[in-house]
Amino acid sequence: MASISLSNIHKLYPNGYAAVRDVSLDIRDGEFMILLGPSGCGKSTTLRMIAGLETISAGDLHIGGARVNDVDPADRDVAIVFQNYALYPHMTVADNLSFGLRLRNVERRIIEGRVATIAGMLGIGDLLARKPAQLSGGQRQRVALGRALVREPKAFLLDEPLSNLDAKLRASMRTELIKLHRTLGTTIVHVTHDQVEAMTMGERICIMKDGVIVQVGAPMEVYRNPVNTFVAGFLASPPMNLLHGMLDSDRISIGDVVLPLPQSLRRAFASHAGRKVIVGLRPEDFHLKADAAPVAAPIEVVSVTTEVLGPEVILVGTLKNSSAELHIRCPRDFRSEPGAMTVFNYDLSQLQLFDIETTTALMRPVKI
Amino acid sequence: MIENDHKSQGAAFGMRGIVKRVLPHIILCAFSLMILMPLLWILRVSFTDRLTAYKIPPEIGTVGLMNYVEIFQRYPFASWFLNSLIVALGATAIALPLATALAYAFARFNTGGTFLRLGVLASQMLPPIILVLPLFGMFLMAGLMHSRTGLVIAHLTISLPFLSWMLVSFFEGDVARLEEAARVDGATRWQAFRHIAVPVAAPGILAAGLLGFILSWNEFLFALVLSGPSSQTLPVGLAALETHAGVEIAPLAAATVVSLVPVFALLPFLRKHLIKGLSLGALK
Repeated sequence: MASISLSNIHKLYPNGYAAVRDVSLDIRDGEFMILLGPSGCGKSTTLRMIAGLETISAGDLHIGGARVNDVDPADRDVAIVFQNYALYPHMTVADNLSFGLRLRNVERRIIEGRVATIAGMLGIGDLLARKPAQLSGGQRQRVALGRALVREPKAFLLDEPLSNLDAKLRASMRTELIKLHRTLGTTIVHVTHDQVEAMTMGERICIMKDGVIVQVGAPMEVYRNPVNTFVAGFLASPPMNLLHGMLDSDRISIGDVVLPLPQSLRRAFASHAGRKVIVGLRPEDFHLKADAAPVAAPIEVVSVTTEVLGPEVILVGTLKNSSAELHIRCPRDFRSEPGAMTVFNYDLSQLQLFDIETTTALMRPVKI
Repeated sequence: MIENDHKSQGAAFGMRGIVKRVLPHIILCAFSLMILMPLLWILRVSFTDRLTAYKIPPEIGTVGLMNYVEIFQRYPFASWFLNSLIVALGATAIALPLATALAYAFARFNTGGTFLRLGVLASQMLPPIILVLPLFGMFLMAGLMHSRTGLVIAHLTISLPFLSWMLVSFFEGDVARLEEAARVDGATRWQAFRHIAVPVAAPGILAAGLLGFILSWNEFLFALVLSGPSSQTLPVGLAALETHAGVEIAPLAAATVVSLVPVFALLPFLRKHLIKGLSLGALK
């Protein structure tokens, strides 16, 4: 077990492309950290630098307090699970699991014991004599995980390990990984582009874009207080509705819709009054009942279409006299014909505002 | 199976169906015959006596193994065969590890960049005759003329570039991911190469080795110029059967048949491993 600390890490390729820029991140000992971002954001490169598979162009990387920039991957004592599992095709499952231990000249008796324990834990005990080609996707995933576990490394690095699994298997592996982390307490760095994985698995989420860290925080903190429109639009499904509006001292106008500002927010946003802003409205903050939120404002929404998901209905609609679309999370019995108008009560306490030029969030009081 | 298919399909589709299925087979059989005829001809000639060998239309004449006996008794066929075997095995044994290492360096480190890769290929594009004379001069100075060692070195100039180019693709792609996994697992670069890259690329390496052997076994020009009486290889020896008194066609046929045996024996392995090697990419 070990903490992992990145200070001002850069990754520059010879062709001048900067894949990672000035990344600083402290991952605590035993923490489950998620690196989240769209493809090409530098999250996998960051993970590969931690593993030692990519050189670090600038900055310092510490694992367990020791600087490891120039330490060979073999000596960093971390384990990595790849998206395509990267099982050794010419070895049996048992040999795949024990490869790392055999390289370290661990006693044969101990290797056999550990392989048996891990195989039992992951339910792959009866597959030990098989070759990877004879395994299903889920079984390969388990073997890849087992190969990482069996060495008892300081940290696990997971590079989108669930993305090749079907939806059902992915959900169950998600739960298993969380349980595993709880049992072992080992530091885990998990790279993903799936915001559901990020929200459900991580103790903290580090959101990256274009090679830089955008925001780091606990899932609910990042969800509640996104630092900019990118984070707001990336987390949750459907994500936050982002609409152009005009901020005045006592109200916000989004086209023809006018939302009165509660007293507390007036003070917080006073310095921005008279400016154009981006208004962030979460789909789940619209309510059909008037008394669902203490400070609410009515919003009329014209239905474009509804997506019936079963447990809930997503209404895709537009504001009156506007073409900007927004998504609203409705109860499962909600129905609306295209063109029909529904009045929702928007919970003003959840209102988010973003600067129209910098896209960063305007300061918001933590409590209203 | 196939014939049954034919019948049922033919019945189902009528005359046009039959023509459509039979016509390609007729064409294919014709082409196969074109390729097989010389081989069958040689096989027939190798079992007949000198006089009937030239007869057209072919006659059966006396059938026997006399030509096979003759090449061993009147000509140093055993020596040619042994020389060929030693040179081909020697050249392959040296070329294969070197080509493997070179291909790995190309695939993993892009050693020398495009320039070196093309340079290696360029040596293959030159007509061999251009290389023969400089080699002749160098071997004279080094005292390697007429020796099997010299021939092995000469054959390396052909097989090393060829094999390394062939092997590059076996080290590219998914094998790199596997090596990364191994290195994080605790392997050094050498261990990852030795325990992961080489075994995973083994079918390709084996196929390359077989091709290298056949290349060297069949090589004629270098052997003709650089070998001496005691180091003559099969292709050179066979050419020597074209004497002033005419081509000794019957013993030549017998010798050709024997020299084909190792190549034919290797072909099934080559096919199996080439196919296996080429389908290795399926990792997920």
